[in-house]
Amino acid sequence: MNASAWHMLLEGAWTTVWISAVSIAIGVVAGLVIALIRLARIPIVDQLLVLYTSVARATPLVTLALFIFLSAPDLGLDLNRSVAGILALTLNTTAFNAEIWRSAFRNFSREQSEAAMATGMTPWVTFRRIMLPQMVITSLPGLVNEMSFLIKGSPAIAVIGIVDLTRVTNRISAVTYEPLPPILVAGVLYMAIIGCLVWLQRLAERRANRLAM
Amino acid sequence: MSEANTSETAAVSIHHLSKSFDDVEVLRDVELEVKTGEVVTIIGSSGSGKSTLLRCINWLEKPDRGSIHIAGQRIGVHEDGRPMPVRELAKVRAQTGMVFQGFNLWPHLNVLHNVTEAPIHVQGKSKREAEELATALLEKVGMSQKHDSYPNTLSGGQKQRVAIARALAMQPEVMLFDEPTSALDPELVGEVLAVIKDLSAEGYTMVMVTHEMAFARAVSDQVVFLEKGLIIERADPETFFTTPKTDRVRKFLENHDTPSSA
Amino acid sequence: MSNWDILWDERAQFLSGFLSTLEIFGLSIVGAFVIGCGLLYLLEGSRKRLTMPLRIFIDAMRMLPFLILAYLLYYGLPSIGIRLDAWWSGVGALAVYHGCYFAEIFRGNRLTFPPGQIEAAQAHGFTKGKLFFRLLLPQIIMQTRPLLGNQLIYALKDTAFLVIITVSELTAAANSLSSTYFIPTEAFIVVIGFYWAISVAMEIIIKQCGRFSAKRGFDNV
Repeated sequence: MNASAWHMLLEGAWTTVWISAVSIAIGVVAGLVIALIRLARIPIVDQLLVLYTSVARATPLVTLALFIFLSAPDLGLDLNRSVAGILALTLNTTAFNAEIWRSAFRNFSREQSEAAMATGMTPWVTFRRIMLPQMVITSLPGLVNEMSFLIKGSPAIAVIGIVDLTRVTNRISAVTYEPLPPILVAGVLYMAIIGCLVWLQRLAERRANRLAM
Repeated sequence: MSEANTSETAAVSIHHLSKSFDDVEVLRDVELEVKTGEVVTIIGSSGSGKSTLLRCINWLEKPDRGSIHIAGQRIGVHEDGRPMPVRELAKVRAQTGMVFQGFNLWPHLNVLHNVTEAPIHVQGKSKREAEELATALLEKVGMSQKHDSYPNTLSGGQKQRVAIARALAMQPEVMLFDEPTSALDPELVGEVLAVIKDLSAEGYTMVMVTHEMAFARAVSDQVVFLEKGLIIERADPETFFTTPKTDRVRKFLENHDTPSSA
Repeated sequence: MSNWDILWDERAQFLSGFLSTLEIFGLSIVGAFVIGCGLLYLLEGSRKRLTMPLRIFIDAMRMLPFLILAYLLYYGLPSIGIRLDAWWSGVGALAVYHGCYFAEIFRGNRLTFPPGQIEAAQAHGFTKGKLFFRLLLPQIIMQTRPLLGNQLIYALKDTAFLVIITVSELTAAANSLSSTYFIPTEAFIVVIGFYWAISVAMEIIIKQCGRFSAKRGFDNV
């Protein structure tokens, strides 16, 4: 592999990282919002969200990415590839994150919020200062695990023509006629990225143990 | 304190308080007045409604009927019966400090921040002011060495002392203790009772549910006996423990370690 | 003629895509299951020279995207003289990849297995193989059922990646129909419905299997 092949690989890695990072950031917040809405148990809205979660968890990312990219013009939307890719990854990861947040809510002890109310905190301050920080800490290991899954699923966006870390190996071997080296290097780069997340997850787990009283 | 203005200066006054959980009457027409500086102990067997009574005082339980005033201010509902908006309720609640059986420290905050959290985010105190106050209070409860520790590293007795400092930090009109030593290992009970005893000597107003009879006798100004949601006896501790009026209380005291003297 | 009518006329293509996906999925999860059990059996041995590389291999697989493995088999292997067609590359990659996940799930449960049971079996004269297949494996499978169920859904979703290495399966069917008739929205809604139906059916089956283990005192839900 020559210098330009390395350069292309790193560019592909960058594409994978930034598209995943944007999807993760939106997905974590959107998951929390959905979990909060589901707490309110609004009829119809609740059922729709249950349906969304169930379908999103069962739909392959490749299929979802194609669906969004190809049918956007039908719906009068003009999405470029990157936006379609981010949308697909986000719709998928949000469903998983919502479940992680929801279980943190369910397991939150009522006594904790009672202690906060007793000191005169309003429900909003109680949520912001007592509930949310604890839920972030307990959810973080699960959320980071889901981030690893998102990176592992991200090659799906290659199907709509985004040149990510996986797709770029095709581009390189089309010139060099040696497919094996770029694929192996891409594999190592993926392992480096996901290795970081696994390490982060361990840190998060150690912090979460502090809450176990 | 002169008789005439007791209701003016009462830290807590409870009138006609009733509460049911699914058809079971837990509190029946309870009347209770706690004067400023007074220590009132609520005694009764389990299920007598004593914890519910305490939790009604700061509206963690909503009573069905009756009224509660904290330092002259109605809690939970307005005088005309309108329910109180949450912000206003929170303000009245801030006049009370509660210590729970299960400590309920916030595990994501260290000891110092457990104590400063409410002064900063409820009263709007500056960080420095809150930390000075917290430092003094943690000293008072003997926890000044543990500012940076997290709750999961503390013993039960230490947790409860931090919880007391946390409640004191709001400089409440009245401190509510809900069986503060029931979840503690026997050898840790003493350190918590010692702190509470100091507080009573300093003139804090306190309402306490407890099973520690010797302690109740030593610190109380008034002892109240609750049975099936009714106050069936109230007296000063000397009278209550030596010459109870009802058979029920006599039996209860026989089954508990009756203190020989205060 | 509405778009839905077009899809109805082309139902044969959906059906063949659906059956193809089921075939790939069925074959590869059987393979993955066998590989998972095999890896667990090999990990039982105490020889570090064997268990260390296996552990590294399993962890490496769990840190790779599935598609990279499929690329490796389909595009990479010919460089060293092994040529598999797209279909077999796909099935092989799925089996190996999810086999490693199965192995990791089993291994995690194996760590909590009560040693007393094994001692009892040894005291009764069980050989290593009998002990593994009669005692360890059945219990580990019953206890890890919910995790295995999740992994099956991941495996089902990963079959769609194979459209990228030109395997004709369910997603490929939608893709080709949508480009022939320009009806992507309807075509993909139908296909997503298929995937959803398979995973709901799978969840029900996994739950039903729970009764079998519940009867034997494994009360995980």
